[in-house]
Amino acid sequence: MSLLSDPKGAVADLTRPEAWVLGVSVAFMLFLLGALLTGALGPTYFLFLVGLAGMYALLSFGLNAQWGFTGLINFSVAAFFGIGAYGSALMTASGSPIAGGFNPIVGLVVALVAAFVLALLIGIPTLRLRADYLAIASLGLAEVVRLIVLNERWLTNGSAGLRGIPSFFKGWPVLSTFPETMPGIRLVVIPGSPVILETAFWQASLNVLLVLAFAGAAYFVLRRAHQSPWGRVLRTIRSDEDLARALGKNTYSFKMQSFILGSLIMALAGVFYTHLNLYVGPGDLDPITTFYAWVAVILGGSGSNRGALFGGIVIVTIREGTRFLNDVALPIDPAPLRLLLIGVVIVAVMRYRPQGILPPQRELIWPSAVDGGGTPDTPESGVREQKGGGSDE
Amino acid sequence: MTVLGYLANGLVFSSIIVLGSIGLSLVYSIADFANFAHGDTMTIGAYTALVTFGAVGGLGGAVLGLPYGFFLALVVGIAVAAVVAVGTEKLIYEPLDVDSIGLLITSIGIAFIYRAVIQIRFGSGFTRFDIQPLRPIESLVPYGVRVTLHDVAIVGSAAVLVVGLHVLLQYTDLGRKMRAMADNPDLARVSGIRTKRVKLWTWVIGAGLAGAGGVFLGLFNQLSPRMGFNLLLVIFAAVILGGIGSVYGAMAGGFLIGMINQLTPFFSNVVEALPIAPNWLETVLENLISIEYANAIAFVIMVVVLLVRPNGIAGEGAT
Amino acid sequence: MSEGALPKRDAVLRVDDLQKSFGGLAATDHASFAVERGTITGLIGPNGAGKSTLFNLISGFYEPDGGTVEVNGIDVTGMEPYQVADHGLIRTFQTPRKLEGMTVREAMLVGPRNQPGESFIKLFATPGAVGESESANLAEAERILEEFEIDHLATQPATDISGGQMKLVELARAMLAEPEVLLLDEPVAGVNPTLAKKLKDQIRRLNEQGTTFLLIEHDMEFVMDVADPIVVLDQGHVLTEGTPEGVRSDDRVIDAYLGGGT
Repeated sequence: MSLLSDPKGAVADLTRPEAWVLGVSVAFMLFLLGALLTGALGPTYFLFLVGLAGMYALLSFGLNAQWGFTGLINFSVAAFFGIGAYGSALMTASGSPIAGGFNPIVGLVVALVAAFVLALLIGIPTLRLRADYLAIASLGLAEVVRLIVLNERWLTNGSAGLRGIPSFFKGWPVLSTFPETMPGIRLVVIPGSPVILETAFWQASLNVLLVLAFAGAAYFVLRRAHQSPWGRVLRTIRSDEDLARALGKNTYSFKMQSFILGSLIMALAGVFYTHLNLYVGPGDLDPITTFYAWVAVILGGSGSNRGALFGGIVIVTIREGTRFLNDVALPIDPAPLRLLLIGVVIVAVMRYRPQGILPPQRELIWPSAVDGGGTPDTPESGVREQKGGGSDE
Repeated sequence: MTVLGYLANGLVFSSIIVLGSIGLSLVYSIADFANFAHGDTMTIGAYTALVTFGAVGGLGGAVLGLPYGFFLALVVGIAVAAVVAVGTEKLIYEPLDVDSIGLLITSIGIAFIYRAVIQIRFGSGFTRFDIQPLRPIESLVPYGVRVTLHDVAIVGSAAVLVVGLHVLLQYTDLGRKMRAMADNPDLARVSGIRTKRVKLWTWVIGAGLAGAGGVFLGLFNQLSPRMGFNLLLVIFAAVILGGIGSVYGAMAGGFLIGMINQLTPFFSNVVEALPIAPNWLETVLENLISIEYANAIAFVIMVVVLLVRPNGIAGEGAT
Repeated sequence: MSEGALPKRDAVLRVDDLQKSFGGLAATDHASFAVERGTITGLIGPNGAGKSTLFNLISGFYEPDGGTVEVNGIDVTGMEPYQVADHGLIRTFQTPRKLEGMTVREAMLVGPRNQPGESFIKLFATPGAVGESESANLAEAERILEEFEIDHLATQPATDISGGQMKLVELARAMLAEPEVLLLDEPVAGVNPTLAKKLKDQIRRLNEQGTTFLLIEHDMEFVMDVADPIVVLDQGHVLTEGTPEGVRSDDRVIDAYLGGGT
């Protein structure tokens, strides 16, 4: 039931968790709107947050394609994010030790190719391992990548990092000068608190446009790939790999495909980060990024793209919210507070709702083959809530 | 430094790794999941000892250059690490209705919580025990060995703890039950072993040893909130090398990994001295076998072991 | 009956001198037998005789230490399970596997082999073909579910149905894979009598339509009723094979069961 064609019916159709999320999201958006209008929240900074949320959503999409779809416990997210960031930075940054000055599109392509190669390097040894060993091995290999980026100064500029990164839209006909050419706008919604939108704001809105494009593309690809025979095999592998093998599926190949797909999307997030932050350093490969993505995915619901989006927003709220709290109210350092919140969220989710808040509910059947769009007969709760078999007939 | 010198350093570092890897291996075989909070358990031990030692001071005398107060702090560090672990098991892990992967993920959250609390309380910088650093033992210096009495204390204490564990495993009732549960949990349960009890004791021992390892790490190196987590992967490498499910394997693995880690500068010198055929290969090897990559070498070994001989030196399967 | 080597006119599955040891113990000890096309062949033996090991060896989940496995005359020894399945040998598992988050018809759709939609590229390059194949498979799945009289379960979550119903679904799904020979691992273990009868009827019906079966079962009545010939395994090798009556009255078989397996 589409929200557009029949809003009332669509809302009534929501399950309880979906309604809850919708309610919280709406309230949160109203809160943000209020902060914007009263000047408490700068509009440029707000767009920066939106961009960041989009970036984490992208990371979650990527991890979702691996863990949510196929059950791959990948703890090397940070490495792929990093390689996406470094791949594009090394091509485009003026301070790049091996290239530099190329068009950002070239940087994007190089980043994706590098991510593909890295996915093979990490995937080939680890994808045959059982789940917990895959976790440990992928974490270890990600650390190796980080150490290489840190130490091979001739390649990556080492701990100094890369600067002089252009905007992604450098050289584009209209968009490259858009921030400067757009006139400044002065909005007065609440008298006495004008909202001023200038160059920085327009630059930030370009970034948001970029991340929306990336996230939109990723979402489209993942949606089609998931609701298909391919996605179905992955889900079978996640539940029971031996069953898939017994039915003639080359599970190693499928796992590799899922791994590569997710890795490319994570690298895309890294590319966006490069052109958002305009500086990349080895610190960007810190494992904390891996665990941010994991929290987003398990909180949102493993296998669900909407859940990944929700998780991404929560992560940004935690990241920036703690910084805000530190500036304004609590005398606690934001970094460990963040860590604490992340830890508590992980434990709370596993304790009270291990399937996440918005677990996936779709049947993985090619949409055009099914009438009715493929939603199973479910009572109030999602498919995942059913535990154990029913009684014998 | 001579080879002997590197080996001596390796022995000291190994002692610390072994204390960590035994605990991790015990929990892995008996609680049946990969405990990612194990490194931060070591951190808890270290900081508890820091606080205790700061509170009680030297307490008069010293042995091997370490004040009595330090040993007291060590004991308290071990105890607190054990208590925290047991508390976590009872409050968090036990009530969870998830499989071993779910526990793995939960333990990551726990690791963050441990670390965050320490960082909030102590800040994120480095700190040291308030103990006079010693000069290397005179009589050994001519051999190129630069170890202090503190290092001797570390090795000695670790040896005592390991021997104690061995005695426990082989000659006590609890030890027998632990070994039974590690070998065949279903059979153990059916034969009347009170598995919950044994599991709790495993946490006590595993976390206690980790706590001790943390204290010694703080003494050998320095303390920082990330000290345990930084070592976690190396400890995993040791456990995997030694063979999951085997405590003695974990000892062997810990010993080897510790040695390899500290011998890296030696390997680096060897590689630089050797004439290696393709020039590019020589450059690559020289770059990669260097101190910066000491930990990375352990990780690569770990992955190779998982691929080639998943049983490690002494344990069960990996796929 | 002589050991093992009854010449089969048309053996869809042939196992020859198969060996597998675990830690020094021979679980499969030079086992040889063949399954004739069009039969429902039963595989029985006391506990510990090595029936499951044999299934795993045949289907590629274990690699044999020696001997060969042939499907339709093609040597599949040592192949990966998916390759063995590709040659027409499909197997089920003893415990029904819980498929979280899938409906029954979704679970069924995993069965057919060589679906174009299983290629990631084709999802974007030839979506039309993917859609057509999916529709055809879905129709076929629903048809089989109807024949099995469980079509009303099609959109139920697979975790919601009973264990016995799941076994029916697994049998139905295996059929979608168009097997040359279907290996059933304890198809009625833990299933209530009504559903067990249903399973038996379906197996017979499918056999009449041309599917060859090899099944392991502990339920003696079930096996004796539905299978012919019957192969008896003891301590890793084939003790004898023959008709249900012949096997039932064979002293060696009785001894093997009474004496208790290793």
